Amino acid sequence: MDASLQPIISLRNVGKSFKDGQVRALENISFDVRPGEFVSLVGPSGCGKTTLLRLINGLIPADEGEILVLGAAPVPGPDLAMVFQSARLMPWLSVAGNIEFVLRLKGLGASERPKRARALLGAVGLRDFADAFPHELSGGMQQRVGLARALAVEPKVLLMDEPFAALDAMTREVLRKELLQLWARRGMAVVFVTHDIDEAVLLSQRVVMLRPRPGRVDDIVDVEFPEPRWQNDPRTLPAFKQMREYLWGRIHDMVRDGAELEELAGAFGDLDRAS
Amino acid sequence: MSIQPAVEPSTRQGQLPPARISGNIVARRAQKRRALEGSAIFGAQVLIGFGLLAGMYALNAIGGNLLMPSPTSVARQSFIMWTDGTMLAGLGQSLTVIVLGFLLSASTGIVLGVLLGGFRVLGRILDPFVNAMNSTPGAAFIPLIIVWFGLYTEAKVVVVWNAAFFPILINTTAGIANANKELVEMAQAFGAKRSTLFWRVMVPDALPSILSGLRIGAAISTVGTVIAELTMAQSGLGGLLAAAGNRFQMDRYFAVVIVLMALGTAITALLRYAERRLGRWRVSQANGR
Repeated sequence: MDASLQPIISLRNVGKSFKDGQVRALENISFDVRPGEFVSLVGPSGCGKTTLLRLINGLIPADEGEILVLGAAPVPGPDLAMVFQSARLMPWLSVAGNIEFVLRLKGLGASERPKRARALLGAVGLRDFADAFPHELSGGMQQRVGLARALAVEPKVLLMDEPFAALDAMTREVLRKELLQLWARRGMAVVFVTHDIDEAVLLSQRVVMLRPRPGRVDDIVDVEFPEPRWQNDPRTLPAFKQMREYLWGRIHDMVRDGAELEELAGAFGDLDRAS
Repeated sequence: MSIQPAVEPSTRQGQLPPARISGNIVARRAQKRRALEGSAIFGAQVLIGFGLLAGMYALNAIGGNLLMPSPTSVARQSFIMWTDGTMLAGLGQSLTVIVLGFLLSASTGIVLGVLLGGFRVLGRILDPFVNAMNSTPGAAFIPLIIVWFGLYTEAKVVVVWNAAFFPILINTTAGIANANKELVEMAQAFGAKRSTLFWRVMVPDALPSILSGLRIGAAISTVGTVIAELTMAQSGLGGLLAAAGNRFQMDRYFAVVIVLMALGTAITALLRYAERRLGRWRVSQANGR
């Protein structure tokens, strides 16, 4: 087998429970991510998407199965970088200072850090805001800094946990395009968690659909649209429409299954929200 | 619904230029209102000040010098005490105790607070003892402190330390124990080691909480100093207070009270300023959200 086709992330029958095993978050999860691939994890709330990302990052250990990242058990560090739903910037540091913080963790010398930080801010269009403090920036700008910080460590895998979910629609659209451009230029693997099916289909090459309670892989579909997608918006293609209809169909099936289960359990709590 | 969009643009266009002009007027009006409000508040404060002075004169006229000294004699005594050096010497003695006691309680409180906040188990072990000590009125320990440390400056510093240490300790511990979990997770995700996590994320995140502990501690240091000076060897401003009170020299007594008021206000203002400078990101964040 060609070495470049070796998966950069590999999950085999991974399971995870919380609260001393009372809550089963993930069960029997298996999938691979190839180097440079853009994979989305999609599913309704409660399917363990964020838990899965934290497992891949090595922040928490798996209870069952095996996770390999770059051929070894995952350890948090500069090969993996995370972008969170909120930017999670340190409010007492300037924008550049926040990026220098992770450059320092990566082991970059003190003299190099400011220059690298500014270059990265340039890459996300925030060069002029290097000395600003996070609270002086808008939500979209803060999220750009979060993205620049993740890119700063030159990760082989970029983990993104609903990074655009808290932004307004216009900012979200702009940032999606920028993400695609950065990904095309840098070629790192991306694992992108979202509950937005359109977003998953628009951005990724592969969509891993998860089912909730406990989180399991429901389906894995390849998404093949002409690249680069920031130039050829695939949303106008009939194939895009088919893909999203198919995925929505899966979600509706899940909700129906879930509804039956919840009825049996006598719980009606979050059904309305799910459908 | 269907008519509105057709009408709206024309009305909007028609209103735009006057809206801009009236915007200017609105801004000027708001400025004027703010200025007016400011002078009204200041005027009211001056009025209350005069009212208090008038009240003092009235009480003095009715009840005599013992009940309430006349402001004129308080001013005269203040002048005398400042010119003959009594007040300056007292202030110096008091400030020595306040500053030494505060520095001692700040350094020990922050160091121990960082340890207690950082090592959860240690924090949980010592929690009941810290709470018990903190709930005991500081004055309860004065007899013990007299037996252990005597009656002079070092004993007074211990009294101040005993009073100011716990609020600083508790605020520091709470600030670190409640450090922003999202930021901690972020730093962990990027591979931060425990020590980096602690010194570069949790401690800076706790800084505003530490600073409010210091502010409370400084205010309590002033109180503790006066109590120590009243109950132990009389010295400083507290000593002057006691001496004047014991001789029923109420004008002298009031002259000292005024200095204590000014001292307390100045210390609090200074620390509030420091708090705002060092924790300005948190202040503006709170205002922004």
